[in-house]
Amino acid sequence: MTETTTQAKPRKLIPISQSISVLPTDTARIYNYIHPILILSLYYLYFPSLVADPVSTLKNSIAPLAHLQIIYCIVCLPPSKGSSTQSTPSTTPKKVVQFAKPAAKPPATLASRIIPAILSLLLSLSLSAPLLTVILILFGAPLTTHFWHNLLCATHISLLGVLPLFYVHGVDGRIWREISGACLPFDEVWGGVVGVVVGAWLGAVPIPLDWDREWQKWPITIVTGAYLGWFVFRFAGEYLLRGKRIEFD
Amino acid sequence: MEQSTRSATDSLAFKDVTACYNDAKDRASQEAEMRDKNKAKEIQFKASHALLIFFFLWIFLLHAIGIYFFTNGFLLTRLVLDHKSNCKSPPIELGQQSPASFADGCWHPKTFDKAVIIIIDALRYDFTIPFSGEPHHFHNALTVLDETARQIPEKAFLLPFIADPPTTTLQRLKGLTTGTLPTFIDAGSNFAGTVIEEDNLVAQLRDAGKTLVHLGDDTWHSLFPGYFDANLTHAYDSFNVWDLHTVDNGVTEHLLPLLKPENSTKWDIIFGHYLGVDHAGHRYGPDHSATNAKLREMDTVLREVIASLDEKTLLVVMGDHGMDVKGDHGGESDDEIEAALWMYSNKGVFGRGHNGFMVPPATAKDRPVGQIDLVPTLSLLLGMPIPFNNLGAPIAEAFIGPGKPDWQNVATVNALAAAQISNYQCEYSQARGLNEDVFSLPQAFWKDGLQSWREGLKSGRHSDRFRPAFESFSKHQKETLKICRSLWARFDIPSMLEGIAILICAVVVLGTYARSSRPNTLELIPVYLAQMTIFGTICAALFSAITLLVFGSGLVNAALLGLAAGGISGFTYASVNLLQSFTLPFPRSLWGWLGVVLTLSQSIGFASNSYTIWEDEILLCFLSTFASIAFASSMRQELFIERILGMFQAGIFLVLTRLASLSRLCREEQMPYCRSTYYASSTSSTSAPWQLLIPLVSATLLPTVIKIYYQPTRSYQGSATFWNGFAARLGLLASAIYWGLDAADDNEWLAVDKGILQTIKIVIARLILGVSLVVGTTMFVWSKPCISIQVTPEVNTSANGDVDPKPKSMKVFGYANVHGTRYFLLVINWLMAIVLLQKPMGAGAIGILAVQILALLEIVDTNNLSQSAIGPVVLGLLGSFHFFKTGHQATLSSIQWESAFVALKTIRYPWSPLLVVLNTYGAQILTTIAVPLIALWKQPLKKPRLLGDVAKALATLLLYYAVINLATTMWAGWLRRHLMLYRIFSPRFMTGAAVLLTVDLIGILVVIGSLRWNFASIAEVFGWN
Repeated sequence: MTETTTQAKPRKLIPISQSISVLPTDTARIYNYIHPILILSLYYLYFPSLVADPVSTLKNSIAPLAHLQIIYCIVCLPPSKGSSTQSTPSTTPKKVVQFAKPAAKPPATLASRIIPAILSLLLSLSLSAPLLTVILILFGAPLTTHFWHNLLCATHISLLGVLPLFYVHGVDGRIWREISGACLPFDEVWGGVVGVVVGAWLGAVPIPLDWDREWQKWPITIVTGAYLGWFVFRFAGEYLLRGKRIEFD
Repeated sequence: MEQSTRSATDSLAFKDVTACYNDAKDRASQEAEMRDKNKAKEIQFKASHALLIFFFLWIFLLHAIGIYFFTNGFLLTRLVLDHKSNCKSPPIELGQQSPASFADGCWHPKTFDKAVIIIIDALRYDFTIPFSGEPHHFHNALTVLDETARQIPEKAFLLPFIADPPTTTLQRLKGLTTGTLPTFIDAGSNFAGTVIEEDNLVAQLRDAGKTLVHLGDDTWHSLFPGYFDANLTHAYDSFNVWDLHTVDNGVTEHLLPLLKPENSTKWDIIFGHYLGVDHAGHRYGPDHSATNAKLREMDTVLREVIASLDEKTLLVVMGDHGMDVKGDHGGESDDEIEAALWMYSNKGVFGRGHNGFMVPPATAKDRPVGQIDLVPTLSLLLGMPIPFNNLGAPIAEAFIGPGKPDWQNVATVNALAAAQISNYQCEYSQARGLNEDVFSLPQAFWKDGLQSWREGLKSGRHSDRFRPAFESFSKHQKETLKICRSLWARFDIPSMLEGIAILICAVVVLGTYARSSRPNTLELIPVYLAQMTIFGTICAALFSAITLLVFGSGLVNAALLGLAAGGISGFTYASVNLLQSFTLPFPRSLWGWLGVVLTLSQSIGFASNSYTIWEDEILLCFLSTFASIAFASSMRQELFIERILGMFQAGIFLVLTRLASLSRLCREEQMPYCRSTYYASSTSSTSAPWQLLIPLVSATLLPTVIKIYYQPTRSYQGSATFWNGFAARLGLLASAIYWGLDAADDNEWLAVDKGILQTIKIVIARLILGVSLVVGTTMFVWSKPCISIQVTPEVNTSANGDVDPKPKSMKVFGYANVHGTRYFLLVINWLMAIVLLQKPMGAGAIGILAVQILALLEIVDTNNLSQSAIGPVVLGLLGSFHFFKTGHQATLSSIQWESAFVALKTIRYPWSPLLVVLNTYGAQILTTIAVPLIALWKQPLKKPRLLGDVAKALATLLLYYAVINLATTMWAGWLRRHLMLYRIFSPRFMTGAAVLLTVDLIGILVVIGSLRWNFASIAEVFGWN
């Protein structure tokens, strides 16, 4: 950027996270394609009633969405080993080169996949959904009205983007610092997260237009943007951008 | 020289300077050498600083010339003439008697003594005529007008009544009472108020001693304050669109009793203004049962009025404009301009047949009359002189008489109107210096008319012989109107394009300078300046010489155009010569791209009325986006302390942005999705009592918060303690008291004489302004840097027992942020002045802005962004955002004119406009003053080319505003035929242009000016860099 960067110390976090891959089973590979189509079909199915009655539709579609996402995690994704087995790496990254997961192998028991999936669901409902609600409000969502709209919109974003993130990366502090620094390498999970955020952001674009359409109501366009962004970016993350990281400087 | 004094943790709050000299002789020569070097550097600095001022003056000049040319072609202006028509002196003697008295009629014998003039807001023509197909809700509901005009044509007529856009009630009422065309700016009239100062029918009636009564829409009172009888008049709020009935019920309730015979002597003219139909249209649209019910209600009311009308009274019912399919208006579509006009009297004097229309026309395209035609018609019917600026013609139906057409009477009234228009033409041409042949065609018609008139007289007063005279006068009026319309309503496309081209070039110049990656742009300034000035002078001379030789006029415009063209060519020439060390000004990081994307997407948005209307919310989203990315970026810091600091500042920025967004003043178009919080309620412009706490809280917290930002670098030293800790605290507290007194004054909480209270208020306000801007500037010039030097006299005792008194070690506290902390004192000065001029809610917004600026500076520092475009761009976004948060909108009506009276009792130039500017653009001014901090905050003392960095940051901020201005200008020009031009695009263009010029001037006068003292004061202690 400038000559000052040259004299700046290498004081940036050196990311250690690596791209994850879909489990090397045939079911996983096939379902990896079916799942996004299922999610989008679900959304398409719900869209008319979403426009008619956003709150109850968003509420009713949480359960199907959560189920689909959990099934996807269990079938396709390598679960996190849990943070207890890994000590938080020291700040010098050289020692933790081998920290990243070894080549993904399908875990032996189903239970070892179901339990992290359930935990991820709980975390994405109880932790990230309220947090995302706050962020929505900070970005200009109505503060005193539309509480349920905001919360349910955040819940959908959370289930779509954050649930697999919990499942894959667990609750390791170091990884979550990288996640909040947006410096994960692209893969289908991180691509999904970026897609949800970018999509929801772009979803706000049509709201002010004076077209007087029902679907311009809060938060329909946001949710739509999130779903579409998720769909596009999870594929982009899987193929086009795989392994790349977002660079700020 | 220390290249890097930044420690990783920013813990280097002080610096050890250990002096160590070998011997005295050496020291003396070294010192002398250093002094010389220092002197040379000082001269160098002062020279480049002075040149910088001239460079930015060039930029200002380009902007001003560009805006001037565009405005010249874009804003329709009409010179308002102050002449008044006089009852005693008709504009022409027609060889017959003019009674010349109010009792019988001024220029023409009067037909009626009294009049009831009812305006049904948004009464579209097709609401009033029968419809035989599948009827909509608005059809066949108001039938009385058509019915009477058909059945008793001598008593009533109904005609389409065409409005001149903009079709807003205020502009329409001006047209309906003055008889002239509305333009966006009536040059010469009082810009602040809406009071009609030119000659008009209402003023003529009042001057004739008539008792005027007004009922309904209170817009009349802002146009004609004090004209109406106070006891009988009842005004109602016009903007409460959701309430369909209060105004209408009020008008009817007071109107009907006045029409009773026992009350007939109490009044002469009644103006009744119904709003229900308009409100129903706005709220539900015309095709809705509510509109139907309203029209039926009007029908009933009008029938009652007709029933109680006497012989001497004229009844006029009209729409001031129509409505579009959604029920809105303001633009120039057919539905909006086609209103209805109906006149009724029991006297039976009206006629038809001069043009074949015996019944009300089936569509508004047949036999339409202009709304300006009402003024001469009413004037002559009521025996008044026609107002001087009138351009309308008398409506023939009112004068032609029942039965056989009375052509002589029609020709007479048309001759009077034509003569008055001729007078007006003459005066206007003189005042504007118009060429004589502009009006040559209508003048020919005028002469024809007079000729025919004389022939008519010779023919023994046979009425039909006057018909040619009527036709000539009528042509004269139409032709004059056409010419005036084209004079006032024509966009001068070449001039607009010239303006836009200059503005585009100015953006390129600024962009090249601000964002080209040359390390030292300061060295380029002399080259640029020399070429720009040489080329500019040559081109200006050339252009004006050519213009003078070829056209003989337009010298000033040609010189200005030449100056701009030359300056731009000079810059291009210089840049091309320097090409080898030049890279294109494209961003090279996500941050840079973010700046570009945010600026461009905001600019593109101005092409849409929706995004222009919702600009405040869009800015909120943009600022939150920046803060979120800053948060993520801070998370990437390796060091815990930096990470926490960055996260914390980003979080503060994010939360404060949302907090500030709670302060809103909604514009009309944002309804009903917006709730105003800036004042006590959406219909008042005073603050609620609880809002008075906001400046108080701000006064308490703000200096403390600023102190907290000074402390990590141990910079809370010297002037900072006094100026921030004492003066600012006191100044902010004083403005809190000022607004407390202001509220006490408004609500009469104190039993103190109003005059005394006002004096106290003005004294406080002047004290604050004096301390902040006069004392503050002096203090800023004289102040030492915010450092403290602690000398530890390590007393060494040498072998022979002599004590060496020289200090061996000294610590400089505040060393890590010498430039930034001192410069911020200037921000505090202006902060005090700007807070005073804002309403209590705005004081809170500006306080939040100050903290946001500090948080931004920390974000910029921890993320190493001092050279990136994002810092100045975010400052620009903050300025635009807080413009809205201080109770403003990009509309003329949101300008807080009363801020001129904060420190003054009466309007005084140039102070009153300056106060209004400081109120309106306070946020943009404050962010502009803060922009050098992007390059200075926590930067090393001896960092090379610091002045160049500051200039680049300032240029980047100006670039942001220049791009916004360019976009709004281009869109306004492109959408000049858009319905929303007057309501949305034009005001936004004017705001953008005013902001750009203000910010340019502040940049030159305050920012660059102050930098000199900042650098000089620091150099006095540490030596020139």
